[in-house]
Amino acid sequence: MIKIKKWGLALALPMLLLACTQERGPCLTPKTASFNIVCVHLTTDTGTIPVDTTLPAAVFGAVTQGGNKLLVYAQSAKFTISLASNADSCTWLFTTDSLYHPFDTINFYYKRELQFLSNACGYAYFYNLDTFHITHHNIDSAHLLARSITNDINTTQFQIYIHPDF
Amino acid sequence: MISIQLNFRYTFILIFSAFLSLAGYKAKAQEDAADTTGLSADTVKPKPVVKEKSGRHLSLNLDLYHPVMSMTSSQKSGYEFAADYYTNHDLYVVAEGGWGSSKVDYPDLKYKTKNNFARFGVNRTLLYRYDSSDWDNLFIGARLSAADIQRTNANFVVTDTFWGPGSGATPGKDFMAYWIEMVLGVRVSVMKDVFLGWTFRAKFMLNGRSFNDLAPIYIAGYGRGDKNSAFDFDFYLTYSINWKRKYQRIGAAPIVADSVGRK
Repeated sequence: MIKIKKWGLALALPMLLLACTQERGPCLTPKTASFNIVCVHLTTDTGTIPVDTTLPAAVFGAVTQGGNKLLVYAQSAKFTISLASNADSCTWLFTTDSLYHPFDTINFYYKRELQFLSNACGYAYFYNLDTFHITHHNIDSAHLLARSITNDINTTQFQIYIHPDF
Repeated sequence: MISIQLNFRYTFILIFSAFLSLAGYKAKAQEDAADTTGLSADTVKPKPVVKEKSGRHLSLNLDLYHPVMSMTSSQKSGYEFAADYYTNHDLYVVAEGGWGSSKVDYPDLKYKTKNNFARFGVNRTLLYRYDSSDWDNLFIGARLSAADIQRTNANFVVTDTFWGPGSGATPGKDFMAYWIEMVLGVRVSVMKDVFLGWTFRAKFMLNGRSFNDLAPIYIAGYGRGDKNSAFDFDFYLTYSINWKRKYQRIGAAPIVADSVGRK
């Protein structure tokens, strides 16, 4: 019993020393909703299965209150943009090549959904897309593949059919 | 890195708790073996008179660990107390309670919580009791627990370097949390009717999904409210109240012949 007493009390000390003050942990999840886009085309006029279209230097430009903010991408068919968290709609400009003009305009209309991520990450906005409008300089057509836009980086929500003349 | 440190801490505690439990059993086994071997008449000493061990025993426990930790943290505070009562069959009925609060004051998230909690359950002793005055204890136990939590409005800022930041507030909320606990503990006498001891607790939230809209960073009595499992530690100062002790014999002491055959 004496041994039990000594060990029992002795064990309490290291446990107290091992305790640490709780601090904010690192945020390990994306804090911004990812709006993932794929650009495709049909290989023939009668084809029905789209093929990814690798664009040489696509440019997406956000029309913000502070002016246009351009994102120039390296050669790719897949792109990630974001929606405005301070409004229920936003406008993006798009062209297939940084050397090629004019830009297309894409307007997105959506509902914002406040989402608690964690105490480490705080809040973020997720979105539910209602509709969109496009112009047709570079874009032949476009389709919504998924309406829900979250911080899931693996889900593609929007499909742009590039104009056959490209 | 913090996660690794926490894992190391919990692993360390688990290993040493298991080691302590094994040591307790081994000590008991050795004592039992000493009682049942070497039975020549001239070496066997009379066993202690077996006495009624069902004296009433009520313990009042004050946790010292969480108040000390509260002094080192500006983010949370917690206070706990407990009472247990011996029920004769190596079982203790346990009631525990307490209160606490937390304060989140990050640049992008600010809110406060406070809660009361209660826990009920049993402890089962793992040690042989020598007599009715022996209340040293190594025990395991289980608890069913509940907390009543109040959260203030949560003010938040959504950081968006591209479109510009947004801010807002979510309304305050009252809600309940329920969890179960597995307990391992030690209690030893340091002077008459005064004990020191600790408990190590593994806790499992039962309704964590019900407050996923903003999981409180700390629930007094549980730990991190945004985790479905938590580990905790208490260091108790205990005062025991004993009454109606019955020292009646329930069996005569064995009469053993000495080395010259006298009885």
